[in-house]
Amino acid sequence: MAGRQYIRRPILLCGLLAIAGCGLSIPTDPSGTLEDVSGGTLRVGVTESGEWVQLTPGQEPAGIEPDLVRKFASTRDAQPQWTQGSEHELAEDLKNGELDLVIGGLASDTPWSKHAGMTRPYAESTDERGKTIKHVMLVPQGENAFLLALDKFLLDRGAP
Amino acid sequence: MTNNSPRFGHTELPDEQHKALGRAVKFEWITLAFLALSTALVFLVLGNSQAMKAAWIEDLLSFLPPIAFLVATRVIRRRPSEEHPYGFHRSVGIAHLVSAVALVVMGAYLIIDSGVGLLSAEHPTIGSVELFERTFWLGWLMIAAMILTAAPPVYLGRVKMKLAEKLHDKVLYADADMNKADWMTALAAAVGVAGIGVGLWWANSAAALLISVSILRDGVRNLRGAVGGLMGARARTYDGAKPDPLGATIDEYLHGLDWVADARSRIRDEGHVFHVESFVVPEGGRTPSLENLEEARRTCIDLDWKVQDLVIVPVAELPEEFLPGVASTGGER
Repeated sequence: MAGRQYIRRPILLCGLLAIAGCGLSIPTDPSGTLEDVSGGTLRVGVTESGEWVQLTPGQEPAGIEPDLVRKFASTRDAQPQWTQGSEHELAEDLKNGELDLVIGGLASDTPWSKHAGMTRPYAESTDERGKTIKHVMLVPQGENAFLLALDKFLLDRGAP
Repeated sequence: MTNNSPRFGHTELPDEQHKALGRAVKFEWITLAFLALSTALVFLVLGNSQAMKAAWIEDLLSFLPPIAFLVATRVIRRRPSEEHPYGFHRSVGIAHLVSAVALVVMGAYLIIDSGVGLLSAEHPTIGSVELFERTFWLGWLMIAAMILTAAPPVYLGRVKMKLAEKLHDKVLYADADMNKADWMTALAAAVGVAGIGVGLWWANSAAALLISVSILRDGVRNLRGAVGGLMGARARTYDGAKPDPLGATIDEYLHGLDWVADARSRIRDEGHVFHVESFVVPEGGRTPSLENLEEARRTCIDLDWKVQDLVIVPVAELPEEFLPGVASTGGER
C-alpha cells in the first residue's frame, strides 16, 4: 500500500550515511574545527568580565576562563591566539568562522546562543542581585566534535 | 443515555461491534499512555535537532485522534432528541475535522521551518549530556529515544486498523494509519541525528522536511475525508477506498420485491451509521400497502447494523434531482 514506497527513502538515507560514515568518529565537525585546532592554533575571542576574564594591555589574558582555555589548548597541543573585542564583535567573528571559541563570563541565557553553540554550564556563581549565573563558553554552531571535546574537558576538571 | 446497553444513538450494536468498541476504547487509552511516555522521553533529549523537534510535534499531534475518538464515542451514545432528530453521530465527523486541520497546519509550519533551516544552512549544534558520571554526545540519546519509541505504535496501529473496519470508524482508521506510519518518522529523525553525527549538517533539516511532508500528507488526506463526510458525500468503506457496497445490497433487495418495479437509494455516512433514503417505484403504479413498506424497511435494517435510520419513499418515477445520475446508470445511485 502507501507505506511501501515510504520504506525506500529511509533505507536509501541509511545507506548514504553508512558510506559517508566510513572512518569517521561520531560526532564529527562539518567544518573540522577540532581537527584544525589540534596541534595548531586555537582562536579565542575574549571580552573583559570580572574575575572570569581580566585583560591588561601588553599581557596575556588572565582570570578563570583564560586559564581553563590554556589548559584545554594544551590537551590538544594547540596554541591559543587571543582576539579582543565586544561581545557583539566576537559573536559575529564566531559566526563567520574567524574564531573557534568566545569567553567573557557568559551566562547560559546569553542572547548570542542563537548564532553560536554553547557548552554545558561548567560553573555557577551568584550576582549582586542573588541570581544564579550558569557559566558557559561559546563555540561555532554545529561543530559538535569540538564542543564535545571542550565539554568533556570542562566538566571533568573545569569547575573552578 | 439512560441505559448502558452498547449503542450508537438508537442503533443497538451487535455483539461483534460491541466487543470491537470495547477493545478500541481500551487500545486508545493504551495509545494515550504510550504517547505520554514517549513525548516525555523525547522532550528530555530534544536539544537543537530540527528533526527531533518535528518528530516530537508529530507525537504531540498524535494525541488528538485518540482523544477525539474517546470523546466522540461518548457523545454518540446519546439518543436522538427533539433538538437533534438525526442523533449525535456527526460528532465523529467534527472530531475528524479538528484533528485533520491540526495535522495540516502543523505539517505546513514544519515544512517552512525546516525548509528555512535548510536554505539558510543552519548548522545544528548538539552538545553533550552527563549521565551516570560520564559525559557523552547527546545525539546518542536522541537516537536511542527514537528507536525505543518506533516499534509500539506500529503494533497499536495494526490492532486499531482491524477494529476500525469492524466499527466503520474513520477517526479510528485515521489514527491507526498515522500510528502505522510512525516508525518512519522515528527512523527519519534518528537518521537525521546520525547525519549530524557524521558531520552532515543538512541531514537533520532534510529528515525534518521528510517528516513534515508526511504529516502534511496525513493531514490533507484526513481533511478530504472529514470534509467529505460532513458534506454528506456518498458513503464509502471505512478506509475511503471505494463506495460502500451496502447501497448496492439494499437496492438489489428492494428491486427483488415483487411489488417493486425500480428502486434506488442515497446514503449518507453519519460517522458510524448510515442514513438511507430509498426511493421505490411500485409495480404498475399501485400504492403499496403499509405492511409491504414496513416489511421492506425491517428487512433492510436487518441487512447490516449500520442501517437503522432508513426511510422508504414510494414514487411514480425515480427523481433525478435526488438521485443524480439515475437516468444514465443502473445499480446503486
